[in-house]
Amino acid sequence: MVMTSSGRGPKPIAEGPAFLARADLQVLLDLLREDGRTLIGPTLDAGAIVYDEIASVEDLPRGWGDEQGPGRYRVRRRSDERLFGYVVGPTSWKKWTFPSLIPLTKGTRDGHRVSFEPAPIDAPKLAFLGVRACELAALGVQDRVLAGGPFTDPDFVARRAGIIVVAVQCTTSAPTCFCTSMGTGPEVTSGYDLSLTELDDGFLVAAGSRVGRDLLERLPLRPASATEQYGAAAVVANVRARIGDPVTADGLHDRLLAQLDHPRWAQVAERCITCGNCTLVCPTCFCTTVSQSTDLTGDHALSERIWDSCFSPGFAKVAGGSFRSRPRDRYRQWLTHKFATWLDQFGTFGCTGCGRCITWCPVGIDVREELNAIAPAVSLAPEAAIVEPVAAAPNDFVAARVLATRPETPGTVTLSLTGTDPAFARGSTGQFAMVALPGFPPLPISISRFLPDGIELTIRGAGPATKALAGLQIGDQVGLRGPLGNNWPLDRAVGRDLVIVTGGIGLAPLRPVIHAIIADRRRYGDVKLFYGARTPVDLHYRDELERWSKQDGIDVSLTVDRAGPEWHGRVGVVTQLFDQAVWDASNMIAFVCGPERMMQATATTLAGRGVPASRIYVTLERHMECGIGLCGHCQMGKYFVCRDGPVFSIAQLGDNFGREGI
Amino acid sequence: MHGTEAQKGVDERLYDVGELTRVEGEGSLRLRVRNGKVLEARFGIFETPRYFEQLVVGRTPDEVIDIVARICGICPVAYQMSAVHGFEDLFGVRIDPAVRALRRLLYCGEWIESHALHVYLLHAPDFLGYESAIAMAADHRPLVEQALRMKKAGNQLIRILGGRSIHPVSVRVGGFSRVPKRRELEDHRAAMAAGLELAQATVRLTAGLPMPAFTREPRVVSLRHAAEYPFNDGRIVSSDGIDLAPSEWRSAFEEHQVEGTNALHARTLDGKGAYLVGPAARVVLAAGQLHPLAKEALEESGQSDLIRTNIYASIVARSVELVHAFAEALDIIDAYRPPTDPLVPWTSRPGVAAWATEAPRGLLFHRYEVDEMGRIRAAQIVPPTSQNQAAIEKDLITAAAGVLDLPHAEATVRLEQMIRSYDPCISCATHFLDLRIDEA
Amino acid sequence: MTHAPVAARPRVGVVKFASCDGCQLTLLNLEDELLSIVEHFEIVDFPEASSSRSAGPYDVLFVEGSVSEPAHVERIVELRRRARFLVTIGACATAGGIQALRNWGDHDAFRASVYAHPEFIHSLAKSTPIAEHVPVDAELRGCPIDPGQLVELLTALTTGRRPQLRDESVCMECKRRGVVCVMVSKGIPCLGQVTQTGCGAICPRYGRGCYGCFGPREQANAAGLARHLQAAGDRPQEEVGRLFAGFTAYSEPFRSMVTDLGGTRTGRRETVDGGPLGDNDARH
Repeated sequence: MVMTSSGRGPKPIAEGPAFLARADLQVLLDLLREDGRTLIGPTLDAGAIVYDEIASVEDLPRGWGDEQGPGRYRVRRRSDERLFGYVVGPTSWKKWTFPSLIPLTKGTRDGHRVSFEPAPIDAPKLAFLGVRACELAALGVQDRVLAGGPFTDPDFVARRAGIIVVAVQCTTSAPTCFCTSMGTGPEVTSGYDLSLTELDDGFLVAAGSRVGRDLLERLPLRPASATEQYGAAAVVANVRARIGDPVTADGLHDRLLAQLDHPRWAQVAERCITCGNCTLVCPTCFCTTVSQSTDLTGDHALSERIWDSCFSPGFAKVAGGSFRSRPRDRYRQWLTHKFATWLDQFGTFGCTGCGRCITWCPVGIDVREELNAIAPAVSLAPEAAIVEPVAAAPNDFVAARVLATRPETPGTVTLSLTGTDPAFARGSTGQFAMVALPGFPPLPISISRFLPDGIELTIRGAGPATKALAGLQIGDQVGLRGPLGNNWPLDRAVGRDLVIVTGGIGLAPLRPVIHAIIADRRRYGDVKLFYGARTPVDLHYRDELERWSKQDGIDVSLTVDRAGPEWHGRVGVVTQLFDQAVWDASNMIAFVCGPERMMQATATTLAGRGVPASRIYVTLERHMECGIGLCGHCQMGKYFVCRDGPVFSIAQLGDNFGREGI
Repeated sequence: MHGTEAQKGVDERLYDVGELTRVEGEGSLRLRVRNGKVLEARFGIFETPRYFEQLVVGRTPDEVIDIVARICGICPVAYQMSAVHGFEDLFGVRIDPAVRALRRLLYCGEWIESHALHVYLLHAPDFLGYESAIAMAADHRPLVEQALRMKKAGNQLIRILGGRSIHPVSVRVGGFSRVPKRRELEDHRAAMAAGLELAQATVRLTAGLPMPAFTREPRVVSLRHAAEYPFNDGRIVSSDGIDLAPSEWRSAFEEHQVEGTNALHARTLDGKGAYLVGPAARVVLAAGQLHPLAKEALEESGQSDLIRTNIYASIVARSVELVHAFAEALDIIDAYRPPTDPLVPWTSRPGVAAWATEAPRGLLFHRYEVDEMGRIRAAQIVPPTSQNQAAIEKDLITAAAGVLDLPHAEATVRLEQMIRSYDPCISCATHFLDLRIDEA
Repeated sequence: MTHAPVAARPRVGVVKFASCDGCQLTLLNLEDELLSIVEHFEIVDFPEASSSRSAGPYDVLFVEGSVSEPAHVERIVELRRRARFLVTIGACATAGGIQALRNWGDHDAFRASVYAHPEFIHSLAKSTPIAEHVPVDAELRGCPIDPGQLVELLTALTTGRRPQLRDESVCMECKRRGVVCVMVSKGIPCLGQVTQTGCGAICPRYGRGCYGCFGPREQANAAGLARHLQAAGDRPQEEVGRLFAGFTAYSEPFRSMVTDLGGTRTGRRETVDGGPLGDNDARH
């Protein structure tokens, strides 16, 4: 054990954590290269931080970091001199444990005789410097796949044996990391000989094996101070917090395998080029092919093993054709293998959350986004609102202020309100508020827009209370309780086609749905809006309708009962509009809002076209006075519309929907 | 159809080769002589036009570099060089001096592979009486192996600098998309040093070949530079006083279509007609700038005068240039340090980008009109073989007299050998070349 | 690819249509193997290299160049009759070549712009690959072909086995060799994802984007790549079209990309373009 210059007595440094000064790092590199061992570590080359043979601390990417995102990687200069201040790059350690090309067999033909001679395995002694937690996990995955079963790969076993692994704790992360979700990091916990955590003045060093302990004894170390230990732990904890938990791994296996027919596979296949980059950059992918070459006589042949990819069209070919002929099949194969069937085969996920496939996909497909779209960890039933409004008692309202008013149609006005209860900021589409002015009965009004600091209400001045609300001016105040009720189940619409049917002011509670869809348009399939009104001037949100249709990818069909001379569109009731529409009912979900008879007729037509009752949603209007299920007015069957609804599926409502007198 | 017609004292000979062999591209030869007078001397080229001057319209300068390489599989580097220097001249791009050296090195590689190919595989079989180098290898295997080693050294050099030996990929306006590490060139040095020795042996070999009798001293044109043997820079000079900047070819030369052919003939504006470009022209005009080892080889061969007057002796000029290319390449390799700026940024300017460089076969002139968007609006490309047409024509007439006493088959071979002395690169001819001489 | 029974020393021919000669030259550039090759193959017709001619029949016929003039059409049919095993070599023969860009243009305008007397120039309106005229037994792609693949084909012919010509993206070769993706790390547009491998990933290795000279690979999602290049790279449509308008532009799906996105102005008579292209400085 080496004494430090301060002459302190021997301490059990062999257990760590110990401290290695920055200036002494070269000692470690030299030790790792003893006896002809080749040291592999990070270095800057051609605009990327790659792993390659190194010898000196000067080879390390001092002061370099990187920026990564889907399909994008750039190195950037850090403001300090950190040696390991980057996140994993395009190379993985697989390059040495499982090289892209190795000779396999030499074949000879001599007249009738043939012979096969295994090519000698050229397995150099190696040391790896800079292995991250996700990469340690990947090495572990490789161990299971290539050396843990009844048949092992001798080349891998030979190369893997005796590699000295020096791990480095991550002190930074990239937006593409998700080791936290896959349970592999960011903390280094096992599978290493030595681990380093870089601090300003040097490195916290710990041993993880006997080889590591032997190395520790030969390094110029001193015990790490409490500050240093705390600093190291804090840095890694920060990394964990930064990464968050992008993918819910719990139950992912079952969720994913239940979605083999999800329409998203076809959608991602339109973007995916099946170029194979993701599989080759992945530290755990192990598919290979064997290629043959001969000399001109044909008597001497060499077969070589090279990396292959399940994305290549020929990967699953047999004489009769290919088992996975479509790009969507191959993308599904890869994702389900990596995140589901690997678990069945080898007991762990294939993915360790390193994020390389996201960064190095040239078109920026993000597996986390795909997993969350195809197999999200969300409940499928509409839930009651989880946000507790401030004004939650029958006698309680919070005043909000009118910021703007806008006439929508003759007789309706949209109010923009600000200074609302903070609970409104977390409200969802389909919810309503109880709106009150002193002296007037509070009214349930659907929220027609959610804004960062307020809401919009569209109000038809039918009676004295609504006329009073509709007549409010800028600066006037009004009382609100909410947001109340449940929401349109937009999460059930992810990856599906959506049909929205409504008329007149019925568009108001559906307008936030359309806003939410537009904000994340790619997650949804075809979206069709069928909207009718009595006359053209009764169409609400006309400028938005045009924008939705022209720019936002919403298929808008309009109709009016009675047209004027300037109306060039359809005339008739809205149910006639979608009678002629074409859609695929097997993958469709419908949201309907309007007078109850109109909703019944629509639901009947939809069901008749094959849309299951569990995927037709309506919003019910009943007499409400409290909005929170305490006054009893809004009962319908077993439900309180204000608390269990107002959004229900036809399946939930059953026979009660449309039954007279319920 | 070969044959003689003896008919009432008329001695008419017809030498007709429908498809020339051991030339690059598709050409034909037809010579008709009656009573010693040449009635018809036609060097026809039936290579299909590919319209490169139109293909580049609307493209950017870097795309042009990729596209024009495909004019020729043997000399793609030459096309890339004439184009890139023209663009850099117009855009005011100043390249790193090490990049300039690398470009010369790349040109050395091309001259080596092209000259080695021609001297040994295409032309030498004529001198030694074989139909091909493959047939020649049966009796002279070491000779052919040496040729292949030299050719390989040149190809490998292009591969190191440009990714592959045919249609290299790294030449860009402003420099190279990748420059080699010192180690890559050092690893190739031994092959280049061995090649130099083989090139010196080649001069001795070709200088000793039986040279058919032939005398005509043509006008010669090439680039000439004060300090270097001409590759990608120098002034356009002739043996009779032309002296132009490399972008100014059109001040003294022009192309025009000849009645009855698809040729775009090249000629001088002074009306003096035919001129020769290529190794012989360069040796005549620029021998002073040859590498000392090449100068030495030329002097020892004693062939300087012959190169000037006997087109068949171009094989010796080509061999001398082989020595030069190997020698200069070795100098560049030994001095090489990777450039600090392998690829400098640039913006286009509208105007005319024009430049001439020396392809293995001679002067190659490019001219591009660039518009405000940085795209090519119009292009003119004048390959060396186009410019040699009139000279070939004259030499056919001169050669006629010398072959009349030979058996017909041998005479035909001699005429083909003469055409091969030009090392014609017919695919380069983006235009048809079909030459006919009226009755003399 | 069909397999022909291999003769003891196959008679080989090498012929040329409209091309630059680079693919035939690749055979002569196999310096280490050439003398051994001519022991196993009898080269009976190779005008570039030998005055010894033969009109066939050929056991193996290598065809370079595209069909580009009327005489070519008859010639290739006749050659097909005389060849047991016909191999097209290079982008001109397999895809029509760079000269196929004129297929989008006005052929007559082409000829007139180059020749003052265009009536003497006999070329076809389109430059087309050999396979559009006769059945082809094997093809080697590339501009030029890869020497390794040529050797692979030759050794396969002598052995009677299938040549290993992998149909996969250039990306695979980049990643096997440890080449850092130029598109991801430098934003350089690269067609490697939709291009068939075989070259050894030369262009990305040399710091620039692949320009597709080996042609589109099977099931190439060119439309997806084009969409991404336009959206993510904020590139005008015409610039993306020009990427596909290269040496194998005439092969699908590159062909459709060029047609849909534009990218070739060849053949147009107008010489000054005022600006409907819509983009600014030359991108490099």
